[in-house]
Amino acid sequence: MSMEWLRFWLVFILIVGSLLGFTFSVIGFYRFGFLMNRLHASGIGDTFGILCMALGLLLAQEPSLSMGKMALAVIFLWFTSPTSSHFLCQVEFYTNPDLYRYVDREAK
Amino acid sequence: MKQNLEKRLWKWLEGEWEPLDYLSEPAEVRDSSRESLKEQKKHLRESIDRMEHTQAVVRAEQKGFYAFYTLTAVICCLVLIGVLLYSVANVSEYGVENPLTMEVVGRYVSRGLYETGAVNVVSGMILDYRAFDTLGESHVLFTALVCVLILLHRDRKNMLPGVEDYYTVSRENYYELSGDPILRTVGMVLLPCIFLYGIYVLLNGQNSPGGGFSGGTVMGSALIILSACVGFARTDRFFTRRMITLVIFVSLAFYSLAKGYVFFMGANGLENHIPKGVPGTILSGGLILPLNIAVGMVVACTMYGFYSLFKRGSIGEDGTSLD
Repeated sequence: MSMEWLRFWLVFILIVGSLLGFTFSVIGFYRFGFLMNRLHASGIGDTFGILCMALGLLLAQEPSLSMGKMALAVIFLWFTSPTSSHFLCQVEFYTNPDLYRYVDREAK
Repeated sequence: MKQNLEKRLWKWLEGEWEPLDYLSEPAEVRDSSRESLKEQKKHLRESIDRMEHTQAVVRAEQKGFYAFYTLTAVICCLVLIGVLLYSVANVSEYGVENPLTMEVVGRYVSRGLYETGAVNVVSGMILDYRAFDTLGESHVLFTALVCVLILLHRDRKNMLPGVEDYYTVSRENYYELSGDPILRTVGMVLLPCIFLYGIYVLLNGQNSPGGGFSGGTVMGSALIILSACVGFARTDRFFTRRMITLVIFVSLAFYSLAKGYVFFMGANGLENHIPKGVPGTILSGGLILPLNIAVGMVVACTMYGFYSLFKRGSIGEDGTSLD
């Protein structure tokens, strides 16, 4: 019984944490003005939020094949979303002519 | 001060005020490269105006071709509206059982597995009973690729002499993704999985949801990621324009011939001697598996062709020699 309760609370904490992460991510994404800040905010949801949500859902279900599929999906997303954020930043860095107003950097 | 803060908060919530407004105002900086780009655009427009075709269009407009064109378009639209309204008026009411349509649906559901050998009834429908519909869709994709090729292909014949276009102007500031070690590593890890998944969806179309279109789309996007990871120079060794045209042609021709044969035999009441296999295994469903592969090839090549044409104006190495 106590193991069940432990699992329940673990799932609860993970899912609520993931929802909190997504909330901060959405607020940051809409309220920040500069692209790199917004990317940081959306990256929190893409990595932390998805990881916590998937772990919570993994713990919540009975062991089955779909657990493996979900874990694979998380691995896939952890590969792809940081890469896409990295390239969006890279493109911003190379193409924004007003970048010196936001960050210190050498002239291009 | 406190009241001011509260006012600001309300303004912020209503979207009238941004705390970072002072940061995002555009600076009054004259960028020399942008100015030169403007100049080049102006130059391009002038030389387009001077071209033979443009002047022919202008002359035709002056002669009243434009009025004729508009009139024809309006008449066509009115005729189409009339036909559609007439057919809508004759459609049976929703929910009322129409024996004509219900008969076909009942046949598909009750005898689909026996007649096509495919566990997935939808696959049996679109690639067996209504295979010519899918053939038409594949041809539409091929036609779209040909149209994009006509419009966007960049060779010596359709480039204005002495005018730099978008591809050549921005080449210096062009950020090439393929040199990046992060993208290359991630691509090498993920690409085999994506390709494998695409092949799985393609080959398993007769047993589970999926099939040619979805599997082909997955493989096409994998090809796009591949060309972004390793660069066009390396994908061009295999995916030349000739290769893509050949693959699409062979797929469409095989589809037409195979399905034409089956329909011809069926219409004349003859056996077609194509084994249906054991339902549920990969080698089942008769012609559905090869037709799925053909459709998947067409879709994958079309996706890659679109990307390549929109990215750099050519498929394969024949266009890169210009740069």
